[in-house]
Amino acid sequence: MAAEIKNLDTDLQMLVYENYNKFISATDAIKRMNSNIMGMESNMEQLLEKIKTVQSRSDGVNTSLFEKREHIEKLHLTRNLLRKVQFIYDLPARLGKCIKSEAYADAVRFYTGAMPIFKAYGDSSFQDCKRASEEAIAIIIKNLQGKLFSDSESIQARAEAAMLLKQLDFPVDSLKEKLFEKLEQSLGDLQLKDEDISRCLLMSNDPSKLENHPESVAATVHEASVQEFVEAVRAYRVIFPDSDKQLIKLAQELVTKNFETGEQYGKKRIRAADLLAVLRMIWKEVLLMDEVLHESVLSEFSLEAVQITVKHHVASRFSHLLHDISDALAKVYVGQKEGMEEFPLQVALGASKKAVLQGSMDILLDFRQLLDDDLELLVKLRESILNWVQEGFQDFFRELHGRFLLLSGRNNSSGQVHGVVEGTQGDRILASLVLVLAQLSVFIEQTAIQRITEEIAASFAGGGIRLYENGPAFVPGEICRSFRSAGEKLLHHYINLRNQRISVLLRKRFTTPNWVKHKEPREVHMFVDLLLQELEAIKKEVKQVLPQGLLRRHQRNDSNGSTNSSRSNPLREGKLSRTNTQKARSQLLETHLAKLFKQKVEIFTKVECTQESVITTIVKFSLKSLQEFVRHQTFNRSGFQQIQLDIQYLRTPLKEAAEDEAAIDFLLDEVSVAAAERCLDPIPLEQPILDKLIQAKLTKSLSQSAVSS
Amino acid sequence: MQGGSSGIGYGLKYQARCISDVKADTDHTSFLTGTLSLKEENEVHLLRLSSGGTELICEGLFSHPNEIWDLSSCPFDQRIFSTVFSTGESYGAAIWQIPELYGQLNSPQLERIAALDAHVGKINCVLWWSSGRHDKLVSIDEENIFLWSLDCSNKNAQVQSKQSSGMLHYLSGGAWDPHDVNAVAATCESSVQFWDLRSMGKTNSIEHAHVRNVDYDTKKKHLLVTAADESGIHLWDLRMLKAPIQELPGHTHWTWAVCCNPEYDGFILSAGTDSTVNLWLVSTSNHDELPSESLVESPNQRANSLLNSYSDYEDSVYGLAWSSREPWIFASLSYDGRVVVESVKPFLSRK
Repeated sequence: MAAEIKNLDTDLQMLVYENYNKFISATDAIKRMNSNIMGMESNMEQLLEKIKTVQSRSDGVNTSLFEKREHIEKLHLTRNLLRKVQFIYDLPARLGKCIKSEAYADAVRFYTGAMPIFKAYGDSSFQDCKRASEEAIAIIIKNLQGKLFSDSESIQARAEAAMLLKQLDFPVDSLKEKLFEKLEQSLGDLQLKDEDISRCLLMSNDPSKLENHPESVAATVHEASVQEFVEAVRAYRVIFPDSDKQLIKLAQELVTKNFETGEQYGKKRIRAADLLAVLRMIWKEVLLMDEVLHESVLSEFSLEAVQITVKHHVASRFSHLLHDISDALAKVYVGQKEGMEEFPLQVALGASKKAVLQGSMDILLDFRQLLDDDLELLVKLRESILNWVQEGFQDFFRELHGRFLLLSGRNNSSGQVHGVVEGTQGDRILASLVLVLAQLSVFIEQTAIQRITEEIAASFAGGGIRLYENGPAFVPGEICRSFRSAGEKLLHHYINLRNQRISVLLRKRFTTPNWVKHKEPREVHMFVDLLLQELEAIKKEVKQVLPQGLLRRHQRNDSNGSTNSSRSNPLREGKLSRTNTQKARSQLLETHLAKLFKQKVEIFTKVECTQESVITTIVKFSLKSLQEFVRHQTFNRSGFQQIQLDIQYLRTPLKEAAEDEAAIDFLLDEVSVAAAERCLDPIPLEQPILDKLIQAKLTKSLSQSAVSS
Repeated sequence: MQGGSSGIGYGLKYQARCISDVKADTDHTSFLTGTLSLKEENEVHLLRLSSGGTELICEGLFSHPNEIWDLSSCPFDQRIFSTVFSTGESYGAAIWQIPELYGQLNSPQLERIAALDAHVGKINCVLWWSSGRHDKLVSIDEENIFLWSLDCSNKNAQVQSKQSSGMLHYLSGGAWDPHDVNAVAATCESSVQFWDLRSMGKTNSIEHAHVRNVDYDTKKKHLLVTAADESGIHLWDLRMLKAPIQELPGHTHWTWAVCCNPEYDGFILSAGTDSTVNLWLVSTSNHDELPSESLVESPNQRANSLLNSYSDYEDSVYGLAWSSREPWIFASLSYDGRVVVESVKPFLSRK
């Protein structure tokens, strides 16, 4: 421990010795510093003194120079003012110079520079000056306006002029409007007119004449003016850069108007080629304008317009076709009224058939032209056109169907048909019309639809598929169905109309005489002639319109022999007289039994669309009506005999006319039976008397027909 | 239904034209029918549908002096009915009463309550007012309309008023409006005339030719159905007589009779000379808006309106009557004297 302490003491001593030098040098440095600072203080005081003298000197200079400086400043200000005044005084002259040198831009710059002064002092000091310069500016404005409006100036110059005018606070908008009006006016000239179209058509139809035809030059005038208009629009656009909207509107207006003209034109009876030519012309215009006004989306705009135009065109073609067919049908009236032609119905049927088929084919051909054309617009519309055509046909046939029903006048209140011709004549013609319509329906169902379907499938396919969701486009099956039912309905309607006439005839016959007090029959009653006449007329009509049924033709010829019928007569008469002489009670029983054993004769069979079927049906119906009329009366013996005689006379011609002999025989017998049942004293005429009377009637009608022919 | 296997048949001895529902019989479904034979003794048959509805039972057989052209049962007394008859040369009309104890008598005689003997020409029909007890009768002959006042207890009928139909208007039949005790529709050659029985004057007319039969709808006011020979069936709204509100094609030959169902709306029966009875269903509810729709009616609509065609007849069907007690049943009568009762129940669900 003691050693350690010793050690530490020596260490401590060593440390003190080592640092002793440093302590001494530090003390020296502090001593030196102290002496230096003492000298600095006196120096500082000297400096302060000197600065103070400098300051006082400079103040002295400043005060001595102040006045002069102020003066100089004032002078400078005055000089500036004077210069400005000078400028203003010089302004009119300068402006004049500018006008002379056409440096309008400078003039405007000067004037606008002077403007604030004029505003402030224009009413007092610079009155004259202001007036003079205003006059000058007025001249400038006038010149600028002139420049703006003059087409000969370059577009830049005109734009500049417009700019300057704007700077001059001139009401540019009114100018703009004026210019715009001018454009609009030229628009009026630009609009397509019918002459243009016809000229254009002349050109397109006959390109060979283009070179030497003077008028064709005129046709290009339109094009040239369009070019002009486009130039003007371009200029205008540069001049008034913010006027796009208006210009677009203008251009669209022009296009719209042109398309409207085209549309109107399309509604007329024209061929698709003509429409194409017109469209092409308009399209050319549109392209030209589109160059200038890209933003106007004119092409899309015109696509829409073309769409409408073509659609209308398609619709109008169909309506024209409908019209044509109606016209062809109207020949039924005309033909019958004039009675010139021998077979008016045949002619009318032929014409209307042709109208339907040929018309449809023409339309298809036309539309194909539209499709095949490479005009950009139409190519885009291809799909839609396909649909329109299909839809068009669908609607067309639907409408035709409606028209048929309307024409057939099922409803009495539709006075359309009845108004044309009146009275019984009208009824007759209506009946013929109905017959023609019926046959036409069959024709449409069996031939026309098929042809059209083929044609559509050949060149218009593709469009339909897409549209099936929205509703069927062209569905031939549906149309066939509706026309088939229409055909049947119309045929029935015809038969009905004819039977109505026969019923009227029979009703008159049976309601007029007092059958209970009838006189002995002396001849066949004349209603038979009327009935046969009516049937003859029907036959004539039906023969013209309906096709022959081939099936039973030969059969009829076979059984038509006169020997056959004459042999059968006494037999039947014998049966009848036997029936009649027996008591009425058993007679009824017998007829019932006879009915049971006889093969049930179908009276009301389905009517087919053949001559024989229709005539047979009408004969059957009239005999049935005859039976009903007979059942409603009560006869004395003579009345019964009269009926017997008439029926006997009718037997041969009716069987000749109608196909179904069994049914006719049956019905004639039914009439006789009905008359016997309704007779108080049914004793038939004796056969010789019957024969004699019929023979007399036959010779009489023969001689009559000889006289008339 | 086709083929008529479900129909219940009954044969009359002779030919017949008319059948009538016995409305006043509330316990049974009964029909009255009368024969039309010029030379034999004619009969009136009272037919009753058996309770099971499978058989037609002849409840009474009465001889009638002449052939019967029209027969209608009194709507408030089941024993009373009217007939129009012809001797062959002249016509007569009378009110008859079925004798009270006819079940026990062998050959009961009809008791003639009153003869409507003021007619001269051909009598067409005698009409009762179907909607209740009414002491008046209307009879129509070719040229006149008579209004009778009937006193059943005193067995007396008096002409109350009479009016001629006018020159060249030959009447052929008629119907009494069940909604208006003063309105009668009469058919003539070229039109349907509407008569007011108070003034005995014509109030209105439908210009429509050859109407054979006419019937008022008992449920729907203002609805009239007409049947014309060739031109089928037409439905008219009595407030607009210019054009029919609906057309039905009717029958292949003439449409002879039409009948509106007394209970089920829109069910119409028609009988024709083509030996069929057709059952139609027409919707008349919305006819106010669509008066011209019939012009271009689609074929589907037309086909749908014909519910059924009963064709099991051998001859023209002239007589037709709905039962008012069981309104799904109707009776039809063909000229050969066959009564067929059919039920339209299978079609009621179609409504």
